[in-house]
Amino acid sequence: MEHIPESDLAVFAFAPDTVPEPRRSVIARHTADCAPCRSTLESFAVADEDLSDSDVWEPAIGSATRDALMSYAARIASEDREAGELLRPLFDAPAKAAWTSLHTQKRFLTGGVVRRLSEHAHSVCENEPLDALTFADAAISVAEALPNDAYPAKAVYELRGTAWKERANAQLLLGQCPEALESLNRAERAYRHLTSASLGLATVALVRASVYYQQQRLDEAAAMAERAERGFAHLGDDDRRMTALHLRASIKFEARNLEEAAALFRQVIEYGESMNNSHWIARGSNALGKCELHRGNLGEASVHFHKALALLREIGPANERISAEWGIAKVLLQTGKRSEAIRRLRDVAAEFESRGMVTDAALVGLDRAEALLALGQTRQIVDLAGRLFRVFTDAGMLTGALTAIAYIKEAAAAGTLTPNDLQTVRTFLRRAERKPDLLFAPPPRKDR
Amino acid sequence: MGFEEVYLRYAVTLRKIAVRKFHIPATEAETLVHDVFATYFLHAASVRAVEPYLIGAICNASRHYLRRADAADALFCGETPCMATPDDTLLDEIARKLLLSRMLAGIGGRCRDLLRRYYLIGDTTQAIADALESTPATILVFLHKCRKRALAAYHSLSEVP
Repeated sequence: MEHIPESDLAVFAFAPDTVPEPRRSVIARHTADCAPCRSTLESFAVADEDLSDSDVWEPAIGSATRDALMSYAARIASEDREAGELLRPLFDAPAKAAWTSLHTQKRFLTGGVVRRLSEHAHSVCENEPLDALTFADAAISVAEALPNDAYPAKAVYELRGTAWKERANAQLLLGQCPEALESLNRAERAYRHLTSASLGLATVALVRASVYYQQQRLDEAAAMAERAERGFAHLGDDDRRMTALHLRASIKFEARNLEEAAALFRQVIEYGESMNNSHWIARGSNALGKCELHRGNLGEASVHFHKALALLREIGPANERISAEWGIAKVLLQTGKRSEAIRRLRDVAAEFESRGMVTDAALVGLDRAEALLALGQTRQIVDLAGRLFRVFTDAGMLTGALTAIAYIKEAAAAGTLTPNDLQTVRTFLRRAERKPDLLFAPPPRKDR
Repeated sequence: MGFEEVYLRYAVTLRKIAVRKFHIPATEAETLVHDVFATYFLHAASVRAVEPYLIGAICNASRHYLRRADAADALFCGETPCMATPDDTLLDEIARKLLLSRMLAGIGGRCRDLLRRYYLIGDTTQAIADALESTPATILVFLHKCRKRALAAYHSLSEVP
């Protein structure tokens, strides 16, 4: 079979009506039967159609949009460079009064300065929330001073939203929950100016869930965490989605909805296993261990804690690793191996103390007290409570926690201490960590 | 990935989604694509998965434009899976066009200019001939040669090594 020359196929593809009969019918019949010629014809046809599409030409000849965006990208890069140089000396001195007047100096009035300040606030927030608040406040003052049209597409609102969100993060860690919610309202209001605010709004939902969680508004917290989870899922941001899922599971755990919490923590582990991500396997396993411990499934709890511990010893963080060791000690306590549990709990408390995590150290101390009470060793509980009292005093935590610990000491000394007293103090310490001004009220005598 | 690379890789997809999925006029879609990238560039460091972020963003921007959704509910585009997610046909077309783009960069300036005038601007062979002080017949021959060269380049790029 003789093939149709490419030149004829090109003309036929491009303008079939211009090919005279009978040649036109010959080509049509031939290409129906001959795969190679049909393929060439289709290539010509597709290429002809595609070549009329401006998108195809953009990489070769550019476009107004591309030119505008590239010049904008260059401006952002330049602003970031300048902001880095401007702010470097100031970052070393977060207490300086200069931070409060940044927005009055023209050279600081750029989006780059806002970005750098917000990033810095984010990076120091966990360890230095007070400094993070200073940086976030400075970022807000500059962002709000920028003109609304400083960037195309109202993008200045992205900077404002992020600065307010960082402020909320810092306030959350400082226990300033109502203030954090107000900052989140401001962040949300800013983000809503954008045509697409998905990432900002999902992040706001996540932080809001954390604030509600801290305020013990558990239903609202769970709903907000779920909202964040869906938002991150749509953005394909699996890591943040897991953060939201883990938070939602923790909220269920806090509400003692252990079955749902366990199911959600299992999802976290499954995700970690599917992605070969040790971090999520460890966090999920540790949390699932706690669930099973509360459900009385001690064997399963032990398996999950040990799985978490093996990973956390390798990858950290230390506080999660200590938490898994605490879980194992509690399993031992509940299986009746009290002496072994006491030994391990002492080590766990010492580790928390050495890291300044005094509330956790005190909570571990209460578990030890529970074991000692079961063994009838109340004299040691008095010593333990005395030590905890000193730990809190040394840490400057002169709160209701001191009264609660003093109460344990006195009750142990008087021989009236009960497991219910320990549980009351345990609940109080956990709440007082979030609300330092909370006052301790001893349990009514009829409960004892 | 630099901003320009991200733009060149995804701009076509975003335009097609706005135009095909949301039936937004091409010029308006161009503005939406611009706005999506303008916002993305400002917080690119916090975006973990670029493609779904951009697709979600053009979906929200399109919905915002159409005023079908209240901005208050714009946390995400609303449907699962997101209605903006490009289907296989669209993805194939985009891949083909990106390949054609690369091909156009490698066929030489004269051919590129001729094909651009003819296909993109829509000049007639007569108009091109006038501009180049030639004849329509000669332009047709050139066009054919350029198309052939373009097709060869396209095939060499699309062949699996």
